[in-house]
Amino acid sequence: MNESNVLHTGTRGSRIIGILALIGLAWMVVFGLLISPPDEVQGDNVRYLYLHVPAAFLTFTAFGITAVSSILYLWKRTRSLTWDRIAGCSAEIGVVLTAVTLATGMLWGKLSWGVYWRWDALLTSTALLLVMFIGYLALRGLEASPEVRARRCAIVGIIAFLDVPLIHFSVNWWRTLHQPASIGPRKTTFDGPMLLSFFVSLVAFVLVYIWLMMHRNRLAMMEQAMDDHGLQMAIAERHAEAIA
Amino acid sequence: MMLASVIQHHVLNIVGGYVLVLGSLALFTWRMLGRARKLASQLPDKDKPWI
Repeated sequence: MNESNVLHTGTRGSRIIGILALIGLAWMVVFGLLISPPDEVQGDNVRYLYLHVPAAFLTFTAFGITAVSSILYLWKRTRSLTWDRIAGCSAEIGVVLTAVTLATGMLWGKLSWGVYWRWDALLTSTALLLVMFIGYLALRGLEASPEVRARRCAIVGIIAFLDVPLIHFSVNWWRTLHQPASIGPRKTTFDGPMLLSFFVSLVAFVLVYIWLMMHRNRLAMMEQAMDDHGLQMAIAERHAEAIA
Repeated sequence: MMLASVIQHHVLNIVGGYVLVLGSLALFTWRMLGRARKLASQLPDKDKPWI
């Protein structure tokens, strides 16, 4: 294989998004820790809002993209391994974001409820989501032809995503420690600098997700190319053995 | 004294949460870019459509 001097997965677009994401994260830290005022009810604990809620939102978005890409792979008209690759990349980032959501939720819970964990509907269904998508990633690692693996993973990805609406509505359907959504299209329970801080954090997390997806997708392209090269080399070796 | 202890506990918890989140994202990014760099050194440029 040829040696290459180009060792990065960056482009001008990804660099601009990366810089904007870093500025957004820095802004989130300054706003979240220093500028945002304490909440009337929660006091300084509200500073977790700027971490936990955007992470949870991006978790659902990441797994939503996995589910949509999986459907597009299974649908014959749009079947392409590109959709399978996008589904896998988004699921991997989603697993990291779910772990972050659970960790920040536990730390916030310790301050607000006095306990890190309760086996209530929302927390348990979120933990289940994490376990299911770790299983999804394990399935992607199993030896199989790309088409067989893509079909299996698409089915599992769609089934695992069904937990997301369950998580979202669990605060309304069951009695849980977790409060109902603080922000939505029709109402918000906070405004002013807190609302601004929240939107800064949300934009920062969206930019981080886009940047990670761009690089993870390019890494997945190279992983696929390495597999293809390995297969070609194995076939060439077999040919050489047969001729000898 | 007790109030100071409670405030200190809350500050450590909240700042620790921010460090945990940013640290997790940084670790994931570092590992991903490290693997990308390793694979990029072994592949020809025709396998890198973003170039």
